Amino acid sequence: MLTGMLSVAANTFRETIRNKILYAILAFALFVIGMTTFLANLSFGDLARVVVDLGLASIHLFGVVMAVFIGITLVSQEIDRKTVYIILSKPVPRWEFVLGKALGLCATLGLITFFMAVVLYLVHAGYRYGQTTEPGIFVAAAGIYMELVLLTCLASFFSTFTTPVLSAIFTLSMFLIGHITRELLFFGGKSGSPAAAWLGKAIYYLLPNLEIFNFKNVAVYGLARSASLLLLPLAYMLSYCAAVLLLACVIFSRKDFK
Amino acid sequence: MTPPVPVITVENLSKSYPMGFWRKRVPVLSGLSFTVLPNEIVGFLGPNGAGKTTTIKILNHLAFPDSGRVTLFGEEAGKSPNLRRRIGFMPEQPYFYEYLTGREFLALCGRLCGMERDAIVARSREMFDRIGLAGAEDKAIRKYSKGMMQRLGLAQALLHDPELVILDEPMSGLDPMGRMEIRNVIRDLRAAGKTVFFSSHIVSDVEALCDRVIMILKGEKVAEDTVGELMGCEILYVEIVLSPSPPPAVLFGCGIPPEAVSVQGSAVVLRAPDVDEANRWVDLSRAAGARVCSLTPAKRHLEDVYVARVEAGRRDGNR
Ligand SMILES: Nc1ncnc2c1ncn2[C@@H]1O[C@H](COP(=O)(O)OP(=O)(O)OP(=O)(O)O)[C@@H](O)[C@H]1O
Ligand SMILES: [Mg+2]
Repeated sequence: MLTGMLSVAANTFRETIRNKILYAILAFALFVIGMTTFLANLSFGDLARVVVDLGLASIHLFGVVMAVFIGITLVSQEIDRKTVYIILSKPVPRWEFVLGKALGLCATLGLITFFMAVVLYLVHAGYRYGQTTEPGIFVAAAGIYMELVLLTCLASFFSTFTTPVLSAIFTLSMFLIGHITRELLFFGGKSGSPAAAWLGKAIYYLLPNLEIFNFKNVAVYGLARSASLLLLPLAYMLSYCAAVLLLACVIFSRKDFK
Repeated sequence: MTPPVPVITVENLSKSYPMGFWRKRVPVLSGLSFTVLPNEIVGFLGPNGAGKTTTIKILNHLAFPDSGRVTLFGEEAGKSPNLRRRIGFMPEQPYFYEYLTGREFLALCGRLCGMERDAIVARSREMFDRIGLAGAEDKAIRKYSKGMMQRLGLAQALLHDPELVILDEPMSGLDPMGRMEIRNVIRDLRAAGKTVFFSSHIVSDVEALCDRVIMILKGEKVAEDTVGELMGCEILYVEIVLSPSPPPAVLFGCGIPPEAVSVQGSAVVLRAPDVDEANRWVDLSRAAGARVCSLTPAKRHLEDVYVARVEAGRRDGNR
């Protein structure tokens, strides 16, 4: 059952984990997380909160960079290098290939996000001399991870039919718009023009609402203590990804390799 | 006895690609039909751009035809992935995941084909030996040479012991030893009852290996026949070597046309246009005191047939 998908996923995991660019980004992210303690000393307010705030922001930022820039190459690189011919000439349905690629990258991102969260947790605890710890970091990181999964699915979807450059532009636009959909709905309603209101609504429901995964502020104020916060976003993420991947599979199944 | 179910049937296959600014569709295959029977080795010949790779991609369900039908083992191609377990495919200029080692790559292929772990290990080892890659198992594919990639391509196609093997230019980029090894692999496949369909530009390999040949030109079939039939019993000319021989002038005197006579060292060589003429000339020259030292009918090579057909096709196309 699904051996094709799982083998492709395992191979993609191996591919991404052996990707040097990934380590460059990761090293930079860890450097920035380490630097937060230094930055915190320069700012006002509850310094430990600043560590959490900046740390989560860097996990988010670098996670998005990894998800998008590896995500867009997942499928397109296989087509460019024609490795896809070998895989698809084996008894592997095309949809299993698409799902396997996305799953493999999600596994890598999961590992890396978890690793960054652990580092941040330790840095924060160290800053507090171990007196208090902030488990909310893991809740917020899980939220970030769900967003990364969604972006990975979007990037794979775009890369089944456009070039990597366009896929990157589309996915990054989705990322940016995805964080302001609520505002778009709000301003669309405010504008008084029915067309603008309709457009705002269409965007709100069609494009991903990525703010739903944002537990950074909640974590900063020490309120993200329960994983049950994540249930609704999880359901949203799963259904959104299912829809996007379904489209990706349909497009990829009809693809004529030239 | 019912005739065997063909391993490949291609019926009326047509395919066009959009080209140029206006995306005008240019035909690449037009009404191509052929069959491949069980345990045959069939060569697929055609000049660059004839549509061989396109046809092979369609056979592997990587590209889709505009019209026409392909069946493999009597089943519609692409309907079930399980059909692909019975097929091994090596693409043109194969390229693999360069971050894997050869062994890891074959393991991946084996898993994708649903093979058991033990079988994968055993078969991979066998393939590495068979295909001349022994010693390179744990080298990163990034460090493989062109010929090594080609060999690995063949290894992955044969790993799961498929009944039908489709190879797109298996000999390109190989040294003479490598070509010979691949020829032997293909012969072994025939001995094991497998069917092989391969494209190639190396006509002498096709001639040496294949039971049948399919030639295409601009997406249309120009020949489909056994190698023997194509090369024909047709004799191009007969070469008669006379030694010792009277001087050429004497031979001209007996009625042998001067343009057919050439002097090579101490021998005189006659080139007779056909067997009857050769017999007559032998009688004439022996009567003139010559000794016939050898008599060789020059048959066509597949290469000549191929070149002739391609040129004829080009002339038709330009008319
Ligand atoms: N992706 C594509 N887009 C447009 N035209 C294509 C594409 N792929 C192939 N063609 C055209 O289809 C024709 C047949 O190409 P194909 O690759 O099948 O030839 P071939 O017989 O394999 O040639 P070669 O011996 O060089 O490998 C060529 O004229 C080529 O220009
Ligand atoms: Mg070709």
